[in-house]
This record gives sequence, structure tokens and C-alpha cells, in this order.
Amino acid sequence: MKDSISLLGGVVLRVVEDVGQYARFTMTAVLGIVRPPYRWRLLFKQMEFVGNGSLSIVAITGVFTGMVFAVQSDYAFGMFGARGLLGSTVVLALTRELGPVLTSLMVNGRVGSAMAAELGTMRVTEQIDALESMAIDPIQYLASPRILASMLMLPILCATFDAVGAIGVSYVATYTLGVNPGPFFDRMMWYVDTDDIWGGMLKSAIFGFLLSSIGCYRGYYARGGAEGVGQATTKAVVAAGVLILVVDYFVSLILAPMSVNRS
Amino acid sequence: MSDSIRIVGLQKSFGAQKVLQGVDLELPLGQITVVIGRSGTGKSVLLKTLMGLMRPDGGSILIGGQDITRLGDRELMRVRNRFGMVFQHAALFDSMTVFDNVAFPLREHDRKMKEAEVKRRVDAALADVGLAEAGHKWVHELSGGMRKRAAVARALVRKPEFLLYDEPTTGLDPIMTAHVDELIRSAQDHTEGLTSLIISHDMQATMRIADKVAMLHEGRIIHEGTPEDFQTSSHPVVRQFVDGKLEGPIQV
Repeated sequence: MKDSISLLGGVVLRVVEDVGQYARFTMTAVLGIVRPPYRWRLLFKQMEFVGNGSLSIVAITGVFTGMVFAVQSDYAFGMFGARGLLGSTVVLALTRELGPVLTSLMVNGRVGSAMAAELGTMRVTEQIDALESMAIDPIQYLASPRILASMLMLPILCATFDAVGAIGVSYVATYTLGVNPGPFFDRMMWYVDTDDIWGGMLKSAIFGFLLSSIGCYRGYYARGGAEGVGQATTKAVVAAGVLILVVDYFVSLILAPMSVNRS
Repeated sequence: MSDSIRIVGLQKSFGAQKVLQGVDLELPLGQITVVIGRSGTGKSVLLKTLMGLMRPDGGSILIGGQDITRLGDRELMRVRNRFGMVFQHAALFDSMTVFDNVAFPLREHDRKMKEAEVKRRVDAALADVGLAEAGHKWVHELSGGMRKRAAVARALVRKPEFLLYDEPTTGLDPIMTAHVDELIRSAQDHTEGLTSLIISHDMQATMRIADKVAMLHEGRIIHEGTPEDFQTSSHPVVRQFVDGKLEGPIQV
């Protein structure tokens, strides 16, 4: 019994310590965004890596998610004779939930893991120590541009996901499933509001912050050579992935009343 | 005007393991001090503590009378501006070319410096270490010796007051070791007021380049003096280390 309590206490202490360290790291990185020196070249490089580099996987994910969602929804709506609602329902789901969440999860797999691996490798090869020895704040130099770039590019990627997803839905619905294009597009335009798109983009900016800060944090504190870098990368991807889904629920709760007030 | 560095009663532990147990050492102004000792005796920890990359548990590091162990992060950054450091495995940024690695401290700290001036100084630094033709190369294209020399160029390019080397010749062949030693000596002789600290366990190299030698053993400096003092020392630990014998007070 005593051993169990001591074990539990140890786990709780480690978690609290980890959360505290993450909070401190993130605070320093956020301050690093607003505090000079401003490293525009690094920021643009990261924006290119996060945004341009992820465009194809996000577009492919978006179009096929829209297409498969259209097929499944058509089956469900067909049972109630409400196929006309297919477009609006699927596009609402895409812009409000699937767009930000799936975009972030895909980018997390590509970018979050790369950030953890890159910073982890820099840590174990003393490159981060070298930065410090040159009187350069390594968190500001490494994490701040990555976090800002992710927060700026995720909403753009999310909007891309929404757009190509809507194209996928429209194509499958009108050409493959034979849904009447008139009511389909009419209701889609009627029910989907710009607030839905903005809400999704806001969520994706938050998720961009989460995946980049966790990726950088795990990499920055990696230890123990190649194995340590591998562990840091895995932890970063898993933690950010889970946190994106958890935070999505709470952000949705906050944004939902605004949608209700609108209608 | 440069200051000397004085280390007083420096202590550092990792959990129950006491690595530094009261290190006292003075680095004379404008000279090369080499700290020798067996692997795992805390030489690199001493170096990183001196640079402020690790916080000591006790003791002081006095630079011109100012105790840097009591400084905050921002003030410590200003102190680090006076240092250059060559890491054991060079720690060059592998996402940059050799030229960009050497130019990095200039571009970061002397932001108003014209690119032509950056180029002039980097080219000069690379020429000094015999890498004039290697500026365009990526780090993974360099041999171990070239990496060390590029790291020396990067450390020297801003003309620091203090230069720290962490085992600069580890892993190099004897000819390259001699070349790097000559480079260190030459950098020292051509930089006015430069105070250097080298961490090493290479006795031959130590004898070639040191003005002062100190031996770290069991967390303390047990002996210090000129290279000649070490050659003739009767201290049993020093004797065993210098002669490289298995028999003696140091147990493997």
C-alpha cells in the first residue's frame, strides 16, 4: 500500500514538473516572438516548411475526406429522404470540425515530429549548447519562429482543407451520387456561414500552437542520443495528437453558443 | 582590457554523484591553462559551469571580481559574449555551410555589420585555420579535423577575451592533433589578451601548448604548475597519469 502511494506520488510529481517546465518553455518562446531580435528569415523558412511543405498532404486528405464523407452521409440522409441536406451538413462538418482537426493531426505527423527530431538532434549533438555559448537565447532562436509560423500557416492550411473538401463533396454528390445540384449548392450556401470558417481557422491556429510548442519542447529537452531523440519525437506526436482532440472539445464548447446566437 | 578568471570552491552534483567537490583554479590573463584528468572526472562539467551552461551548486566564478554564478539569465548572456567555445565534437550547425557557421556569431550579434565585412572576416578566420577553400562545404562533408578547425574559426571570429576548448584533439590522428595544437598556440599568440582554458587528457598535446597545467582528480584540483613541473612531479596521481601506468593510486 505504502509502495503504491509512493509510486503514485512519484508519477504525480513528474507530471507536475513536466507541465511546469512546458509552461515555462512556452512562456519564454511566446515572449521571444514579441521581443527583439526579430529573425524574419527564420520565420519565413519555417512558414515555407510548415505551410508549403504540408499543402499536398492536407489537400489530398481534404479532398478524400470530403468524398468519403459525402458517400456515407448520402447513405444516411437517403434513409430519411433528406439528400438535399447533404452538401450543407458535410461542408459544415468539414469547416467546423474535420478541417481544423484533421489538418492539425496531419501537420502534427509531419511538422511536430520533424521539430522534435530536429531540436532533439541539436540537443544531443551540443548544437543547442553552442547557441547558448554564443550568447543566443536558444528557445527564442529555435522555438519562437516555429511556433509563430505554425500559428500563421495552420489556418491557411485549414482553409485549403475546407475548400478542397467542399470540392470533393460537390463532385461526389452531384456526379457520382446523382444529387440534384440546385438544392445541393443552394442549401450549402444558405447554411454555411463565414463564422463557421473563421471558427475552424481559429481552432487550427490554437492547434498549430499546441503541436509546435509540444514538438519543440520535447525535442529541446531530449536526452540520451538517438534513442532519446526517437522517444522525444514519439512523445511529441502522441501528446500533441491527444491534446488537439481534447482541446477541440473545449474550444467547440466555447464557440458553440456563438453559432446558436447567430441562428 | 581583459580580466582574469578565478574559480573558488566550485561544486556540482548530479543526484548523489558529486562531480566537482570544491575546485579552486586561477586562469592567468593571456595564457593557456590546460586542465587534465581522467575521463569522467568532471572536466567538461567544469567547462560548462564556467560558461554558465550549467549552474553550480556552490562556489564562485570570478571574472574581474564579478561572481558570474549569481547572475540572472540576461546578465549571463552578456558575460557569454566575452567567451568563445570549441566543443568536443565541434557542435557545428549541420543545417549550414562552413561559411555560414563561422559567419553565424557575427550575423547574430553584429547585426549592422555589412555582408561584405562579414565575408572579409569569415574568409580571414577560415584562412587562419587552413579552411580557405572549404567555406562552401556542408558540415557532413568535413573530416573530424576540418570540423575542429571550423569550430575554432567560429569561436575566434568575434575576437573573444576567453576561449574554452573541450578536448579539442579527441578522435584526431597524431598529425591532425599536432596541427590543431599548433592552431591553438597560434591563435593564442596572435590574439592580444586572449585567455584560454583547454580540457584535455592528451599529455603530449598538453606539453606542447600549455602555459599552465592543472590536474582534476576526484572533484578537486590536486596539482597545478608549468608543464615542466608536471614532468618532474612526484605526486603519485600525477605521476601515474603522466606516465600512463596501470599501477598506482588511480584505480581503473
